[in-house]
Amino acid sequence: MDFNIITPVTVKELLGTMKKFQKKKFRFGAGCTDLLMELKRNPEENLTVINLSRVKDPLFTGIKKSAAGFRFGAMLTAHKIMVNEEIRNNFKVLHEAAESLASTQIRQVATVGGNVCTASPSGDMACALVALEADCEILGITGKKGMVPITGFFTGVRKTVLKKNELLCGIFVPAKNKKSKNIYSGFVKIGTRQSMECSVVSLAYHIQADAGGKIIHAGVAIGSSAPTIRFAEDAAHYLVGKKFENISVNERKEFAARVLTYATPIDDLRATAWYRKEVLFNISKAIFENDAKNSR
Amino acid sequence: MKKNLKVIGKPIPKHDARSRITGEAVYGHDIVLPHMLHGVILRTEHPSAIIESIDVSAAKKLPGVVCVITADDVDVNNISYKRDHPILKKNEVNCIRDEIAAVAAETKEIARQALKLIKVKYKIRKGIYDPHEALKKDAPQINKFIGGKFSNKNIAETFHYEHGNLAEEKKKSAVTITRRFTLPRVTHACMATSNITAHYTKTDKKLLLYSSTQVPFLYQRDMAHALKMNPSDIRIIQPVIGGGFGSKLDMYPFEPICALLSIKTGRPVQILYSREEEFIASPTRQPMIIDLTVGADAKGNFTFREINIIKDNGAYTSWGATTPFVIMQAFSSLYKIPACCFDAMAVYTNNVFAGSFRGYGNPQATFALERMIDLLADELGMGKAEIRLLNANEKGEVTGQGLHYETCGHKECLETVIAKSHFKKKKSPEKSGRYKRGIGLASMLHVGGGAKIYRSDGCGTTVKIDPYGFCTVITGSTEIGQGSETVLAMMAAEELGIDLNKIKIINTDTDVKPWDVGVHASRTSFVAGNSLLGAIKILKEKLNKKAAQLLNTNDSYFDYENGNIYLQNTNGGEPANAKKNSVLKKNSEIPDSSFVKLDKVVREMHFGEPNELAIASYFYEPSSKFQDKTFKGNVSGTYAFASQSIEVEVDTYTGNVKVLDIYVAQDVGKVLNPLLLDGQIEGGILQGVGYALSEELLVKEGRILNPNFHNYKMLTAADIPNIHFYPVETNDKQGPYGAKGVGEAPLIPTAAAIANAVCNALAIELLDLPVTPEKILKALAEKEKLKKQTV
Amino acid sequence: MRERMKKVKSVQYPQHEISFILNGKKVSCKTKGSAVLLDVIRDVFELKGTKPGCHEGECGACTVLVDNVPVNSCLFLAVNADGKNILTVEGLLHADGTLDPVQESLVQNGAVQCGFCSSGMAMSLKALVHQYENAHPVAGEIKKGIPSRDEIKKHLEGNLCRCTGYVKILDAAEKLFLNNE
Repeated sequence: MDFNIITPVTVKELLGTMKKFQKKKFRFGAGCTDLLMELKRNPEENLTVINLSRVKDPLFTGIKKSAAGFRFGAMLTAHKIMVNEEIRNNFKVLHEAAESLASTQIRQVATVGGNVCTASPSGDMACALVALEADCEILGITGKKGMVPITGFFTGVRKTVLKKNELLCGIFVPAKNKKSKNIYSGFVKIGTRQSMECSVVSLAYHIQADAGGKIIHAGVAIGSSAPTIRFAEDAAHYLVGKKFENISVNERKEFAARVLTYATPIDDLRATAWYRKEVLFNISKAIFENDAKNSR
Repeated sequence: MKKNLKVIGKPIPKHDARSRITGEAVYGHDIVLPHMLHGVILRTEHPSAIIESIDVSAAKKLPGVVCVITADDVDVNNISYKRDHPILKKNEVNCIRDEIAAVAAETKEIARQALKLIKVKYKIRKGIYDPHEALKKDAPQINKFIGGKFSNKNIAETFHYEHGNLAEEKKKSAVTITRRFTLPRVTHACMATSNITAHYTKTDKKLLLYSSTQVPFLYQRDMAHALKMNPSDIRIIQPVIGGGFGSKLDMYPFEPICALLSIKTGRPVQILYSREEEFIASPTRQPMIIDLTVGADAKGNFTFREINIIKDNGAYTSWGATTPFVIMQAFSSLYKIPACCFDAMAVYTNNVFAGSFRGYGNPQATFALERMIDLLADELGMGKAEIRLLNANEKGEVTGQGLHYETCGHKECLETVIAKSHFKKKKSPEKSGRYKRGIGLASMLHVGGGAKIYRSDGCGTTVKIDPYGFCTVITGSTEIGQGSETVLAMMAAEELGIDLNKIKIINTDTDVKPWDVGVHASRTSFVAGNSLLGAIKILKEKLNKKAAQLLNTNDSYFDYENGNIYLQNTNGGEPANAKKNSVLKKNSEIPDSSFVKLDKVVREMHFGEPNELAIASYFYEPSSKFQDKTFKGNVSGTYAFASQSIEVEVDTYTGNVKVLDIYVAQDVGKVLNPLLLDGQIEGGILQGVGYALSEELLVKEGRILNPNFHNYKMLTAADIPNIHFYPVETNDKQGPYGAKGVGEAPLIPTAAAIANAVCNALAIELLDLPVTPEKILKALAEKEKLKKQTV
Repeated sequence: MRERMKKVKSVQYPQHEISFILNGKKVSCKTKGSAVLLDVIRDVFELKGTKPGCHEGECGACTVLVDNVPVNSCLFLAVNADGKNILTVEGLLHADGTLDPVQESLVQNGAVQCGFCSSGMAMSLKALVHQYENAHPVAGEIKKGIPSRDEIKKHLEGNLCRCTGYVKILDAAEKLFLNNE
């Protein structure tokens, strides 16, 4: 494994580097934890890695809260996401996803942008962000920025809508609905071990209810169940109008069945498709059984 | 001669822990020799193929490449237990580990680049990956070096054992149960990958190997045979070893290959495995299919066991092929068994070959037989604790196989874990809910005083005391992290009455240390310990003589304490009065007629009459017997027993098993060092939990699918259960201070107990390992289906 | 033949000059852009205490501290160490040969067996100590009190050990914090 590396330190330098390499082969490196492993397995010749870890700009590393929501830079590490009080209190699903990612050491370098752009069907933070219906802030080579909903960001296994002259610079998570008083939010990650797992199947949910407990908005996403992380819109929609605490056993099953319609899992080393569906069904209905217990 | 032990039994931290936690210890990976080359190995791309041609010309021309070898370049013998394993493969390859060529280059990068330039033309064959397929008449012969010895050309080894009257016992049986158990391929996954540094010096034609072997003297002999050298021209130095667990019992091709590269280049050469290579090219535990039939009479007394085992040997034969020695012992002698008929065969396949792994076949055997005891209990309507207690082994028992239990803690172990885990209260799990709890029991029997499977099971020791009162122990035994150095130092400190920090252990150099069969079979504390005690006894006889002379006495009873030799109070009980005041006396240098300083005695021996050094050597050979042709005989100096009671919680939504509490009682003879003992127990148990629940080397058509820690699921700190350990002391008079071997035992019953607990929780029947979440959900789904059908 | 050699040699990428603090001393070296910190520490600076367990970020044997936080040095680009403060296990040892309390606790509690994971364990624990020590605000959020056993387990999830079953390591960590209290 050998490659050329370029380390821009400002956004301007970064854009300049991107321009310079438009006709050549390059990859972005954020935390590089996935990238190094990938290049070790499948070395690429004449490759340049544009190292983002030194770009000191709020665009990539800042955290900003506004009435509309929460914006953080793509270069924020999983650790920073995990320890952020704001995120812990308002977007538990993201907090738990960050916490469940790989190991203490990896979380110190792995970034949220990297987790999203890797576009792995098992991406933990990515799955949580889909449930949160986040937007991806994309920086073009001209310096122009644009927004793409994360639900439309992934186009296949390790494929995204990003073009060669674009990169992800930030994530925007919309604030909760104004009427929302109770939030049921969590990330359920299934693997053989308690730690160091790549999910066999995962479920992210962020359900908002009004003061009376009636669900006014829901976001549900599934990981490791299809070529991309999927937003289980129909299942989420099914919940709206119901009282979270009163959802009946049959309704739970109906919800789980709807989640399952988004799952087209495969057999692989870690589990069979049968197992993935079985478990996805079970953990989907379980979110109404005991919210605290089934989140890791 | 019972005296209060001052050092033995104390929780003393590991002798070498400081050097290992500071980065000072030099492991094989850390060795850098002047002018050293880096070796890498080209392995086959296909598990079964004819090699049509090998072209190394381009690799040889790459700048920085010093040497490239293939089978054509070397004159060597086959290696392995059966000498059925060519070091470099020439005409054909038979498993995915097969070595075809090797490169030595100035840097690792160049060596790796050179590998890519070697062109091998293969004619791919259909391999045989199922031992049953290999046994078919029309199957091709897989290993061409062995043949004709057995009824089938693909059989590598067979074992037959029996005792008692099987027909009679079958008749007596009220219940008979037959099941097939399937055991997976798991691997040691030592934290330090395999490594070797070879240094051949052309001037004297001697070969120096820095090798992490656990059997240096057998290794020296095997290496010499492989390379057609004189064993004495090969010197083995064992650098600090990063875990072993049995993986370093055999010599593997990479080791003579590294030696050959050094011989060819006249320069030091180092081979370090990558983690992926470690998963692909180091041995595994034997995968097995065990067909077991057992019986019991109406009262629950066991009547017979009938066992048929097929082991997937892989393409070559390692020491691991002899695991049936241990397996048959579990079947013939764990619990009282009137009749036993045992057959096992190791069958060649094109899979990766198996080796030896902590427990040596016993975890597999114990899984089958302890699962079966639960099935018997269910069938008989008996309690799972009661049936075990009824049949437990006892002190004084001579088993059908001839094992003599001079001490036996089996019953006490069982009773302890049953009581401590409240087994009887917990045995019926709740019926509903997502999370279900269950509890399971299992016991084990293992050799506790070495195992005589080689012509000698002994160990040599030389002890010397220098003129300054420091002691050097030169032991044949090997430290692989288990703490043997510490335990030996403690014994020397205890016996000679000197500080632990005045004791040095020399144990890494075959040119220096006396012979030892190696570190395996939980034997080191027992065999090396007895050897050391023997040497000290001889040394003390010399010292006593001089001490008596210096103290002007005819007495020959002395106590060694505080760096002094005291005249013993021959009236028994407390030593001479002087001792109590010894500190005072020592400081004031008042001559005393009741003691003399140890270092003074040593100096007087040396510089005065009889002009002798304080040095003594001893070789200890355990009293155990080499088994006869029918595998009968008392194969070990003593036997260890253990029981575990394990409570689990199963998530019926996901199939995940959480091991909550493990209660373990083990007959250790005598606790020599509780801190190190705990470490062996806890470490062994977690390997057992991994074997039970998460670990499996996945192989498809001979290829390893998960050669990395990402998908080979070794448990993490976050997965560990609570472990409650209760040592049982039976004080075996054969053992040093009464101690037995402990190293392998803790992992042996764990998987069985966990599987029993899961079955107890869910009322399902599991016959395979590992018990994965998927297998559990499948079993639950099938149970549900059956229920619906019957309703 | 020449053609083939060319192919193998491929492109030579530019080297990078990096400087960083290694165990309290400023050091610098030239490195390939693709080099990882582990290889630089072991091969360039010949500090062999940091162990290569997997080179895949899965075992934690190569854990070092970068500005007081634990990282897998096998997945950390050497160029990203430029300007940083790197601490390896060798840097834990005091000048007079006494051990860091983290090391001492691991030794005293029987947490070291084969030792191959031990330096990584020590570094991970050192990072946890930093999180609780006011004296090291660089580590980010400073925590109060002492960590629970579960928190220690979670913190050590990325450090595999094959010998000890982790129990003694957790004991050592707990006692370390109790003694510090």
